[in-house]
Amino acid sequence: MKKEFLVSEKKNERVELDPRTKLALLITIAVFVLGQTASKSLGAYVIVLAMLPILLMMISGKVKNAVMFLLIYVCCMLVTIYAVPELSGAFQYVVIALCSLFMRFLPGIAMGYYTVTTTTVSEFIAAMEKMHITDKITIPMSVIFRFFPTIFEECSAINDAMKMRGISLRNAGALAIVEYRLVPMLMCSVKIGEELSVASLTRGLGGPVKRTNICSIGFRAADIILLAVCAAAFVLCIVGAIK
Amino acid sequence: MIEFKDLSFSYSSGNVNKNDETDTNNGSLRNIDLTVRDGEFVLLTGSSGCGKTTLIRFINGLIPNFFSGDIKGEVLLDGKNISEMSLFDLSSRVGSVFQNPRSQFFNVDTTSELAFGCENHGIEVSEIKKRVNEVSEKLAIKKLMGRNIFAMSGGEKQKIACGSVVAVQPDIYVLDEPSSNLDVYAADELRKFLVMLKSAGKTVVIVEHRLYYLADLADRVIVMNEGTIKYDSTMENFRKLSENERAGMGLRALSLTDAADVYKKTVNKEACDSWHINDLRFRFKGENEDVLNIKDESISSGRITAVIGHNGAGKTTFSRVLCGLEKRAKGTIEKDGKAYNSKQRLKKCYMIMQDVNHQLFTESVLDEIFISMEEKNEDEAMDLLRQMDLEKYSSAHPMSLSGGQKQRASIASAMAAKRDIFIFDEPTSGLDLYHMKQVAAALGALADSGKTVVVVTHDVEFVLMCCDEVVHLEEGNITEHYALDSDESRKHLLDFFNV
Repeated sequence: MKKEFLVSEKKNERVELDPRTKLALLITIAVFVLGQTASKSLGAYVIVLAMLPILLMMISGKVKNAVMFLLIYVCCMLVTIYAVPELSGAFQYVVIALCSLFMRFLPGIAMGYYTVTTTTVSEFIAAMEKMHITDKITIPMSVIFRFFPTIFEECSAINDAMKMRGISLRNAGALAIVEYRLVPMLMCSVKIGEELSVASLTRGLGGPVKRTNICSIGFRAADIILLAVCAAAFVLCIVGAIK
Repeated sequence: MIEFKDLSFSYSSGNVNKNDETDTNNGSLRNIDLTVRDGEFVLLTGSSGCGKTTLIRFINGLIPNFFSGDIKGEVLLDGKNISEMSLFDLSSRVGSVFQNPRSQFFNVDTTSELAFGCENHGIEVSEIKKRVNEVSEKLAIKKLMGRNIFAMSGGEKQKIACGSVVAVQPDIYVLDEPSSNLDVYAADELRKFLVMLKSAGKTVVIVEHRLYYLADLADRVIVMNEGTIKYDSTMENFRKLSENERAGMGLRALSLTDAADVYKKTVNKEACDSWHINDLRFRFKGENEDVLNIKDESISSGRITAVIGHNGAGKTTFSRVLCGLEKRAKGTIEKDGKAYNSKQRLKKCYMIMQDVNHQLFTESVLDEIFISMEEKNEDEAMDLLRQMDLEKYSSAHPMSLSGGQKQRASIASAMAAKRDIFIFDEPTSGLDLYHMKQVAAALGALADSGKTVVVVTHDVEFVLMCCDEVVHLEEGNITEHYALDSDESRKHLLDFFNV
């Protein structure tokens, strides 16, 4: 049972993308699919963008998830095109709202899912360093990644403790439940945080020299194609705006 | 060469980590004069709060860079004042390994962690890769490379921590109770690591409560008390002291065989009655093999039963199943003709976890007792606190208590909930002799009141000191179950731990 944000172990993937490409894809999808920016000038290109994460998931072997995302997306599209004109009144609004919500959000979620399940923490940090983001941001970011699994561990231990004490919603009330969970969690996190800082400082973190990073990342053919697809969306948007 | 010249220190109030009400020293130091020569292997020991951790914090620079306080005197590293060096400068010369394997790694995967120190020092990528490779070979952790650290055992995590320090190639190593969260086998692995450092001629200063695994490794033993050095001699001389003399200094056993004689306890009277385990089985979701399979066994009430076994033998699973935390477990336990399934066991049993912080939720110790009671009864609650020696602290915040007090508060709340079976998960990890005795006394009191006490532990000294019976778990089965009432049985127990 693993609970983590970004993966820690690298699986073999057929197409390895640079984390920066994934980031560019995330931004592009957020702007044009979720945000529907310049939807007129992009037209059907939005659908191309929306299909990208599903394609990537297929390639990296997450077929089940990809098919699920695809089915929901296509269903929503078909409903919008064929069923909506037949409907009327409040029900029509609800259906339109639901469908467009799904169509807007799903590709972003799929892309996010793909990114976090295929990027290792060290790759991500290496990418941030390559993008010349200062240590003041990359170090706290790596601490956050380090803390996600820790918080899950703490939570499940506290859960067990509450079960043993027989504390539940019924006998303690919602507010107490939240408090009983937060107090030990904060105490443990503070303690772990301090020990973590001590351990990393004695290993030379935050020194005056430029850090190196053994994780090698770089752009390959697939990255360049995908970056071009992203760039095209922005070009279409700008061209549309000038017209 | 490290020289302490008439060093006195006291923490500024924010940094005080009080261990106990009896601990008046708070880790401060008084007029320390000490020289550690290059290549020396020094064992630094003494009861909690005696200042041994403070002393090594001077060597790795955490004082005054991270913990502040009032410093008099000076500490020199090869003639240079350490207080004038930054943590970063020191980090290339002094490697530190700490107590808690869970909070020592900065990365989520092993390879990055081994490279971490070198990366911080800006060493060339090709050189780092070479070193990581070397270290993983030397420490036999090749098969752990590229893996998620969170999924590892405490022993494996501690090995990664050692490896990460070695990769930087410092010439001085300070270790702060590195074995206290480790089982006997992991401690033996740690020992091998120390042998490696010693043969490479490194200077090692190790703070420890558990002494036996260092008996033939350390050159010199320093015992501290109340911030001063009380004993400083060679290991040879230290070995000549009797086990009782060492116990008099508040130290744990140096030789486990002697410990068997010193800690010998009289086994609790005839067991009154017992819990019967019937066909207790458990398998993880999606697995098709049982990780626990106990056909027919009984655990005596009014006695303390130790559960021992190798790593991965199912000790943790056993205790979780026993107290009903694993819903999918099959089988029952039975007493006086009544069988309890896992849901009913949750109301009968209580596990005191290794990290008691997870189990204390409320704003005062008294409230902690109240939420366990069906009806609030202040007299009864105070009575329980009195039994656990916590009366004075009834209105204190549980988080302000010391580790041992938290443990006892947790026991009191379980007693308030009228539990019959108490399961302790490694109650003595990282405790000195005094506190170990205190825990033993609390457990003894529980057993005397007729409760069933089960202790999952790898602390042999503790088992010898207070347990009446031993259950040996292997691959999810109980392979042996015997009373610890004769010299043979004690010898048998030691044989198991002699790796």
